[in-house]
Amino acid sequence: MPSLRVNPNRMELLKLRRRADVARRGHKLLKDKLEQLLKEFMSRIAENRRLRAEVERDLFEAYGLLAVARAEAGAATITQALLAGEPTGIVTAGQRNVMSVRVPVLQLSELPTPGGYSYATTPAVLDEALARLASVVPRMIELAEREKAIELLAAEIETTRRRVNALEYVLIPQLVSTVRDIRMKLDEAERSDLTRLMKVKAMIEEQQREA
Amino acid sequence: MGKVAMVGDTTSVAGFRPLGFAVFGVERPEQARELWPELVSGTFDVVFVTEPVYEAVADLASEVADRPVPAVTVVPGVGSSGGVGEAKLARAIERALGTKVL
Repeated sequence: MPSLRVNPNRMELLKLRRRADVARRGHKLLKDKLEQLLKEFMSRIAENRRLRAEVERDLFEAYGLLAVARAEAGAATITQALLAGEPTGIVTAGQRNVMSVRVPVLQLSELPTPGGYSYATTPAVLDEALARLASVVPRMIELAEREKAIELLAAEIETTRRRVNALEYVLIPQLVSTVRDIRMKLDEAERSDLTRLMKVKAMIEEQQREA
Repeated sequence: MGKVAMVGDTTSVAGFRPLGFAVFGVERPEQARELWPELVSGTFDVVFVTEPVYEAVADLASEVADRPVPAVTVVPGVGSSGGVGEAKLARAIERALGTKVL
C-alpha cells in the first residue's frame, strides 16, 4: 500500500495516528451496521417469498374468474361494466426508519365497493371476481411495501459494504504504512544526530589533548 | 392520499378500476415507457406493473429503485408465467450480498 506524501515530522505523525484511530473506530461501527442490515435483510426475504407466492396465486384465480365472466357475458359487456369507478387515493404513504434506511409505510384505506354496473346484464361471477380481486389488494399493497423496503435495504447494504471495504483495504493500511514511514525517518534522523554529536565530541577532545 | 396505478394489458388491468386503482391499459408493453414520467411524477405511491410491462421498463424502474416512493411492484398479468417478480427480488439479493444465493 503506497504511503501518503507528507512531511516526516512529529506533528504529522500525531495527526496521522489520530486519523488512523478514527478510521478504525469508524470501520468497526460500519461493520456492525452492515451486519445488522444483513440480518434485517435476510429476515425479510423469506417472508416476502411467501407473500409473493400467495399474491400471485390469488391473482391468477381472480383473473380466471374474470375470464369466466367475459365468456358468459361477452368481453364488451364486461369491459363496459368495469369502466365504472374513479381512481381515488386509497393508500397513505408514510416513512419509517430501519437502520437509517427510510422505507415507506403504506396504509391502505377502505377500498371503494365495486358497483355501478347493471346486475341484469352482468353475470354473478363478475361480482365474485371483483370480490376476489379486492381481497388480494391489501396483500398486494403489503407486498409493494415489503419489496420496496428490501430494495432500499439492498442499496444501503451495497454502499455500506463499499465503505467498509474502502476503510479496511485502502484508508487504514495507507495510514498505518505512512505512520511507519514517518517513524522510520524520525528514528533515522535521531540516530544520525547522535552519531554526529559523538563525532563532534571526539574531535573536540582530540583538539583539547593537542593543545 | 396517494393513488395506486396499475399498468398492463387491458385484460389484466380492467378488474382493478372498480377498486379505485388508476389503470393504464397498454396494447404493447413498450407503450408504458411513454407513460412512465407520469407514473413516477409523485401522484402515485404504488405502481403495479404486469410482467411484460416490467420487462419493457426495467431500466426506467431501476432509476426510482432508490427512492422510497413510488414503490414499483411486479405482479403477474393474465397469461403470464410468473417468476419475473421473483427474479427482481433475486437481483436485490445479489446486489446486497454480492452473490447469488438459494
